[in-house]
Order: sequence, then structure tokens, then C-alpha cells
Amino acid sequence: MSPPPLARLLGHARGQLLAGALALTALTGLVPSLPVTGPRVEAVVVIDITGSMNTRDERLDGKPASRLDKAKATLRGLAAALPCGSRLGLGLFAERRAFLLFEPIETCADFGALDGALAGLDWRMGWEGDSRIAAGLFRAIALAGDLGSDLVFVTDGHEAPPLPARGGPAFEGKPGAVRGLIVGAGGHSPVPIPRYDDRGREIGFYGAEDVPHENRFGPPPPEAEHREGYNPRNAPFGSHAAPGQEHLSSVRDAYLRGLAAETGLAYAPLDAPGGLAEALTAAATTRSRPVRLDLRPVLGAAALAALLVLFGLLPWHIRLRETVSRLRHGA
Amino acid sequence: MTVLARFGVTAPAWLWLLPLALLPLAASAQRRVPIPSLAMVPADGLSRLVDAVLTLAGMAGIGFLVIALSGPHLAGESLARTGEGAQISLLVDRSGSMNETFAGRQPSGAEESKAAASRRILDGFVGRRAHDLVAVSAFSTSPMAVLPMTDRHDAVRAAIRAIDRPGLEATNVARGLGLALAQFGTGAPQASRVLLLVSDGAAVIDRRVQPTLREDFAKIRPTLYWLFLRTAGSPGLADRPAGEDTPQAAPERHLDLFFKSLGVPYRAFEAESAQAVEAAIREIDRQERKPISYAERRPQRDLTGLAYGLAALAMGLLLAGTLIETDLATRRPASRPAASRETRRAA
Repeated sequence: MSPPPLARLLGHARGQLLAGALALTALTGLVPSLPVTGPRVEAVVVIDITGSMNTRDERLDGKPASRLDKAKATLRGLAAALPCGSRLGLGLFAERRAFLLFEPIETCADFGALDGALAGLDWRMGWEGDSRIAAGLFRAIALAGDLGSDLVFVTDGHEAPPLPARGGPAFEGKPGAVRGLIVGAGGHSPVPIPRYDDRGREIGFYGAEDVPHENRFGPPPPEAEHREGYNPRNAPFGSHAAPGQEHLSSVRDAYLRGLAAETGLAYAPLDAPGGLAEALTAAATTRSRPVRLDLRPVLGAAALAALLVLFGLLPWHIRLRETVSRLRHGA
Repeated sequence: MTVLARFGVTAPAWLWLLPLALLPLAASAQRRVPIPSLAMVPADGLSRLVDAVLTLAGMAGIGFLVIALSGPHLAGESLARTGEGAQISLLVDRSGSMNETFAGRQPSGAEESKAAASRRILDGFVGRRAHDLVAVSAFSTSPMAVLPMTDRHDAVRAAIRAIDRPGLEATNVARGLGLALAQFGTGAPQASRVLLLVSDGAAVIDRRVQPTLREDFAKIRPTLYWLFLRTAGSPGLADRPAGEDTPQAAPERHLDLFFKSLGVPYRAFEAESAQAVEAAIREIDRQERKPISYAERRPQRDLTGLAYGLAALAMGLLLAGTLIETDLATRRPASRPAASRETRRAA
């Protein structure tokens, strides 16, 4: 008399594998995902859209690209690389303000909207030509703090007009209260900045005579009295325009690192090894969010493995055993 | 579009494993029963059929598991439907004056700024209308594309929540209008299109830009709503200025005239209080709830569950095959070596 079918089924390896594979596959329908909490980031991205970001000293797919285009591509990559449940907002920096476009939204469910918004960024959205990085950064930090999120501030660090002799504005917030990244865009050798007319058409580059090279607000620097034509009352900065390299632009990473240290943010270059997602995750506040862990690939792969053993390994194994036994018993 | 053309997978690398589905052709998962000669077994059509079914089931089991792991899906399709919904391009003024109250003061206490009122009311407006596609643009000195046309209303509300942040200086409505029109894109020309302009003032539209704007309006033909958040005491749309009636002297009135001359359905709402804004929005909501035909974009359909289901079905067949497997003889032959032994798949 043969044993009951189920016991007979589970009594040998083939039955166990088959029943196991079926059970695992059935589980993909019953428990497709597990609710778990995972560390996720929430940050508002504030991107510099001032003139110096048009400088073409970055590379995108092997072709020269402007800093802004490179930053957009990198940020779209960041949005795609962050795990589901992360949230990104978007703001613009120009002049000395951080202008919020939208509050943080989910990077997976709202990916299309986020990606489209990043792709649509343009320097023509800027409202003024000034680029007072430090002031803008401090406002962006206040904005992120207000939203209760972290900050990603993408800039090349090119202050226009240059900072006065006594230095930039002081950070009045609490360093480290808002965490996040300052991302430096641009190359390290100074290159000319493209210039546009009032209809947005490119008309060449800024020349040395087009931009101020010295900020003459506030007291003059201490060495000013040795300058030609110096007069304490009538010409405290000397009588000649200061020469300089302000019409050329490169990423001011030493300056940005200094700002990062002052405000308690981390610094990363735009082409950080491992991508911005890694740098941001390391610098950001860890927020536990309920996320769903998709179990189906694990269950499905295990079921597939069981079937492959059943069809691929077992028959050959048995055949091999039979051959060995046949040889041993002397055919 | 045929179904096949819309089929796609998210992890195509898995598909390299698909040839493994041929394994059941080479080997059976059934028990091997050694018998001395196949000639001992009578030809049996039923056995052959069961054998073929089990082989196919094995191939299907492996094949559908591989396909399921690759994340199969059908790409979204566009269905022409009749329902309530529209493409809405929202154009919001973010000039500094939007942060003042309707009385033209800095908000204090329970008073609400114009930006805060529009934020609150637009939030409700977007939330109530499930089938709309919404794009958000802002303008002050320059136009800003905030969000492209999207059906993700969470994202739209995140953009609307940002509109009572401190605004910028000027009101450059012409370039803002150009951008808001561009947001409609080229697709779905039969969809109902609504351009909703929310601003508390106007500016002169440059004579050089006017023909371009006219052309764009004629091409896209949106229904234009202007929600004019009028500061108390300032001139309304119908008020003629005391002196010369030029666009510089009464920009709001002349913008209204410009809109009226565009030849598209147009309606202006003058709101002097949050209640009036709410009433205007409710009116727009009602107007744009007429049944319209629109293209509904269906999100992509996940077929992973279906693939797993089919794999499970195939495995169920295999399992049934294992359960009913039986010996040719009632007693298993002793495992004795045989000089030449043929085996046969026993069904």
C-alpha cells in the first residue's frame, strides 16, 4: 500500500523542491512587500542660476556643457538614485535670495514631476544678475530650516560683485542646525563667462572691463594707502580701477569649503565619486520613514533556483549516479 | 498600439536566463523508473499527452518566473474618455505685493496675505479635481517653470504651498503668459485647456510681444481665467483712469482689454477678499466641470503578479503530476544492475 500522496510527495527531494517553489511563488501574491522603516533623506535643492553657471567648463556625455546643464543632469541622477520614500524640494538662487519653487515631494511617486521640473531649469528664470553666494546660502539654510528639511546648495561659489575687503556677511544661524551639502560646480582653471543680450541671445564673453574686480563698499583694505593716487578722503581705494580676474570663473571650492565649515554643512564636488546620492545620504539627517520592502524578487529568485535544481541539477545528478553504479558493477 | 509594442520590462538582464526554460525538454522532474526494456511498456497515448503537458508546465514554470523577475509591465496608454477634467496651466504672480493683505498692508494677526489666501484656496481647488493635469508656473521679473503638466496632485500641492513664501520684485505678466502657454505642450489638442492666471496687478504688455502672445493663444486656444486679487481702493478692471487712458496709467484695465481681444473664452474675476477668491474658484470649478472629452493617460500596468500567477499555475500542474505518478509495476523492481537499461519517463 502506498503512503498518502502528500507524505509521499514531501518524502523525496523532487517533491520538496517543487512544493517549495510553488509555496514561494504563492507567497509573492500573499506577501508582496513588508512594511519596514528605512533611513531616507528629505532635502530642498537650491540651485544657483546666475550668469557664472553658464560657463562651459563641465563635461556631459563627453561633450562640453555648462555648469547649469551638468548640475541639472546630476540632480536628475540624484532624484533617480535616491531610494523610494526620499523627498526632494526645489528652489532657485540668484541675487541674494533662495526662491522656493516647491516643497519636498516624493522622489518615486512624483518622479515625473520632479524630473520635469529639474529639466526645465533655466538661467533665464533669474530675476537679478547679482550672485551673492554667502547671503543666498544663509537664506537657503533658513528656508530649509523653516521647511524642516535638509539642504543641497548647488553653486560655483563665484561671488559677483566680489566680497568687500572686510569679508562676506557672517552666518547668524546655528551651525549644524540644518544639515546637508554644498555642491561645487565647475572646473578649476579660470574660463570666460558667456554673455547674453536682453533677449537671451549669447553675444560673446565678459571682458575684464565689464565686471567690477573690487567691492568698494565699506572701509578700504589696509594696503590701500600704498596704491597710486590714494587719498584718505577722496580716493580711499586709490585712483585706478583695481585689476583682477573676476571676469573669469572657476569653482571656488576653498571658499565653499569655508562656507560649509562655517554653517555646518558638508562639501561635495558636482562629480563626487559615488554620485551625489551617497554624499547626500552621508551628510543628511537620518529620517526613518515607513517604506515597503518588495519581497517578490527574493521569493521569485528562490523559487526559480528550486525549479532549476529540480530540472537542471537533479536529473543529471541521478543519471551520473546511475552511470557510476553501472560502471562499478561492471557492465 | 498593439499590446506587444506596449510590453516592457524594468530589469531586462534577467531575461538572459530565459533559455533555462528549455531545461524540461532535456530532463524530466518525474521519478525515473528503471525497467529493462521500453518494449515492455505498451504504447499509451494518454501517457504521451501527460508527458507533453508536464514538460510544457515545467517550461512555463521556469519561463514565467524569469519573466516575473524581470518586472514585466504594459506601458501606459492614452484612452479617449468623456469625463470631468482639464489641462490646467496655473500661472501665479509671485511679486512682492502678493505678500500684502487685500487691504495693502503687511499681514498681522488673523489677517491673511493675498498669497496665503490663494495658496489655501488653490490647494482645495486642485484637491477636489481628480482627473486634471496641472502645470504650475510663476512669474515676477522673469517667468519660472515650476512644474510641468502632471497628474501628480501631491507635487502640484507642494508647489502651491510654496506660493506664500516671500516674493520677488516686479510683475512681468507677458513672459509669464508665454511660459504658461508653453506648458500645454503639443499633445492632446482635443483636451479642454484652462489657463488660470492669479495675480494682484498687471503690467504693460510690450507691443512687440503682443503679436507673439496672440498667435500662441490662437494656436492653443485655452479658456482664460484671470483671478485678479484687487487691493482695496485700487482701480478695478472697469475703471477708466482720470487722466489719459493709456496702458501705463491703467495696466489692469488694458490687460483686461487685451485678453478680451484674444478671441478665446475669457473671464475675469475681481476678488477683493478671500471669500471673493473662494467664490471665483468655485465658479471656475463649476464651469470646467462640464463633461468634456479628454485623453486619460493610464499609468503603466504591472504584470509581475500575473507572471507569478502563471508560474504558480504551471508548478501546480507539475505538482499534480508528481502526486499522481505511479509505478509501472506495483512493486518497485529491486535496484539491480542491468546490462542495458532503458528508462522511460513515467507519467
